[in-house]
Amino acid sequence: MTNKEIAVFTLDALKKAGADHAQCVVTTGLSEEIDAENSEFTKMISLFDAGVAMKAIKDGKKGTMFINSLNEEDIIKAAEECVAAANASVVDDAVRIAELTENKSFEKGVLSPDKEKFFFRIKEYVDEIKKTYPQIVLEQLIADYSCAETVFMNTNGVEFNYKNGYYSLTPMFSAHDGEKTTSFNYFEIAFTSLEDSIIELAGQRDIFDQTVKLLDAEAFTGKFEGQAIIVPSCLADFISMAVGNFVSDGTIIDGTSPWRNMLGQKVASDCLTLSVNPLDECMVAGERITDDGYISENYDIIKNGVLESFCLSDYAARKTGESRAKNSSSCYVVAPGEQSLDEIIKSTEKGILVCRFSGGSPAINGDFSGVAKNSFLIENGRISKPITETMISGNIAAMLKNISGISKEVICDGHTKLPWIRFDGITVSGKVE
Amino acid sequence: MLNDLLKKHISGIPEHAELRAQINTNRGVSIVSGNLVSNVRSQSSGVCARVYKNGVWGFAAKGEYTDEAISDVLTAARNNADFLNTHAGRGKPPLVPVQPPFNPLKRDYVDVPQSAYIDFCRELDDYITNKYKNLASRTVIARADSMEKLLYTSEGGYSHAIMPRAYIYVVLSAETPDGDTVELFEPIGGGEGYFDELYKSPEDCHKEIDKLYEELMQKREGIFPNAGLRDVVLDATLAGMLAHEAVGHTVEADLVMAGSVASKTLGREVASDKITMIDFAHTALGKPVPLPVYVDDEGTPCEDAVLIKDGILVGYMHNRESAMYYDVKPTGNARAHKFSDEPLIRMRNTAILPGKDKLSDMIASIDNGYYLTRTQNGQADTTGEFMFGITMGYEIKNGKLGRALRDTTISGVAFEMLKTVDMVSDDMVWSSSGYCGKKQLMPVSMGGPAIKCKVNIGGR
Repeated sequence: MTNKEIAVFTLDALKKAGADHAQCVVTTGLSEEIDAENSEFTKMISLFDAGVAMKAIKDGKKGTMFINSLNEEDIIKAAEECVAAANASVVDDAVRIAELTENKSFEKGVLSPDKEKFFFRIKEYVDEIKKTYPQIVLEQLIADYSCAETVFMNTNGVEFNYKNGYYSLTPMFSAHDGEKTTSFNYFEIAFTSLEDSIIELAGQRDIFDQTVKLLDAEAFTGKFEGQAIIVPSCLADFISMAVGNFVSDGTIIDGTSPWRNMLGQKVASDCLTLSVNPLDECMVAGERITDDGYISENYDIIKNGVLESFCLSDYAARKTGESRAKNSSSCYVVAPGEQSLDEIIKSTEKGILVCRFSGGSPAINGDFSGVAKNSFLIENGRISKPITETMISGNIAAMLKNISGISKEVICDGHTKLPWIRFDGITVSGKVE
Repeated sequence: MLNDLLKKHISGIPEHAELRAQINTNRGVSIVSGNLVSNVRSQSSGVCARVYKNGVWGFAAKGEYTDEAISDVLTAARNNADFLNTHAGRGKPPLVPVQPPFNPLKRDYVDVPQSAYIDFCRELDDYITNKYKNLASRTVIARADSMEKLLYTSEGGYSHAIMPRAYIYVVLSAETPDGDTVELFEPIGGGEGYFDELYKSPEDCHKEIDKLYEELMQKREGIFPNAGLRDVVLDATLAGMLAHEAVGHTVEADLVMAGSVASKTLGREVASDKITMIDFAHTALGKPVPLPVYVDDEGTPCEDAVLIKDGILVGYMHNRESAMYYDVKPTGNARAHKFSDEPLIRMRNTAILPGKDKLSDMIASIDNGYYLTRTQNGQADTTGEFMFGITMGYEIKNGKLGRALRDTTISGVAFEMLKTVDMVSDDMVWSSSGYCGKKQLMPVSMGGPAIKCKVNIGGR
């Protein structure tokens, strides 16, 4: 059966099981992965993927079920379980499925991989790192091609199709020189073209150069309040923490978000515009259909410092009387500033360049603390030395109001497009006796 | 039927090969401030094959249990091994054979209806709502998962095992006098087994919810610690996290081979002589561990991996390949989370062993420090540098517990910090409700006694 035929079969099974309203997402796909450990190729993986996610509403009650089988008997059994879960649930007026607007099909990216060329580029990547950065050890390298065909259908007649494929690379690495070892670092980049060397994408050479410099890092001692310049790959973590704490379903529904009543009000420095843009050309795996069954659109969370939108699901939006987010992705984009990164560093009197953050979930009010990994001290307008055992702490809501520089350079890794941002008022502490 | 198919396809394979059929289930219910926001059931199942050839592996997986699917994944895995061997061969010798295990299924899978989770959570939510009026929010979560694996190896190994878990989590938050919000989170009961075996009545959870509320009220009035290197007592739940995050990952042999701090310290003193740490397979101190593993996913019978003995680093956790590299016996730490995952070196039940001290004496021995009792998360580096988020604790003044603490963080370097341990309590607490993340998720348990040491604590 085609994915559409399976989707039709699934909706029928859900209705026969007793659902008043139903929705399903049928996905089939292929993943081809090549891994290296310690810069040697060690395994190759093929995954033939499939799945049916279903949602049933019965008498105003919702149940959900996922199976990875496309077998008709399994789907019928899963549909019965889904409706049984709905029957066991509680009536909730906010539970709905998407209304029919416009049905559409999308196709994007690489739908047929070039296996030989991909391997050539990966081997070239590993060889280039060995040659140019001999101290770098690729502890683990995951190179993956994945493609998926998704059909979304519901009993209101909504039907979307999306085919998408792309390559990705996730290196985890550290530098070693005799007894000296750095912390590990990692990132993920996603891309669709194999025309150029992979190492030239997304500013990777800067990251490897920095990692080698970290071999001379020393434990930081002392404590000061200063500025923190956060690099793009680490900025994504801070944005995720802000989104999770301040504008997502959980804290908006239970009312604990400090931004619950701040729509239309200033929550950040004027220079900050934070958007979620899966349709941006550089987002190679950008969402086209939301989790709830609407066509994805770009939107701003914060525009010129003003809170424009929460990031709510359709359910949370109905529950709270707010608007649903126009997409359900995390393709974060921060609008670039007017200063170069070099200018921002030169105007930093005392601070820290934070290249990776190892910290727990922030407190509900946004208080956070954690270890600034792979980071550098900035003194008198220049990067003075690499440091270890350094904690940074602050409050994420306060940080967003204390932005004193956004770089004009941005990095797009295929999932996000972010600049370097300097925040004031960050507490930096090392070993304090 | 499935057994016959797997046996048929694995026989006659010239290289080392594994065929594994596996089903994972997940059940979840979340009630946030009275709203049932999540009511989820999922199941993934399928078959995978892994083939070894001259130091490289081919792996393939498909979400079906048919004769054709088994044939397809075995062919794809062999082709992948051939491709990699041809393009980037390593020329390594065959794996050293292990005694093929015979490990039949010890218990059957039981599917608990969704209504059991929902009704239980709703009763707990009603209890909290009726009893405690000054909360800012409340969340009650039920989670259950299971992994059932059927493994055949080309050496004649056979294992059929199931690992079910179920837990209740409660999250409470309250507004502080200065207008902030504080939160506490607690897994209540649970462990290996099925939900209806582990949770007989919501009333059994009331005592722990009451304690959580009481601590939340203390935290409302809490203070921020005085930052710096301080004398602390880490409660037993934190010692387990320390064992897993700060030390455990650095002694996984694949990370050792990548140059972790433990690669240079085998045979050396890395901790106080009061510290002994073991990754247990299935039995610890004469009792079953929380998540026993008898045969790993390469077909190796599992043994304990002794990591630190009386303060000396004595060993690593191994799969067959790393054991061959270090010329030691494999410990059976190769584990895969789903049918579509290849086995990686993972922890099982990692613990610091109890000592001889009493917790009350440990607290009494500190003039100015902290007793840290709850953590929600931890991260560590291959250098041994670690951080844990601390969500509950108390100051210690002149040997007595004082005011509660607000959220903070502790950090340090494991092999430096463990050398400062001078007291270890004579009891031990296991926790098994979380997942470890290392490319794949994996249910693991961790345990330990309370320990007294010096650690960096963050302030505000």
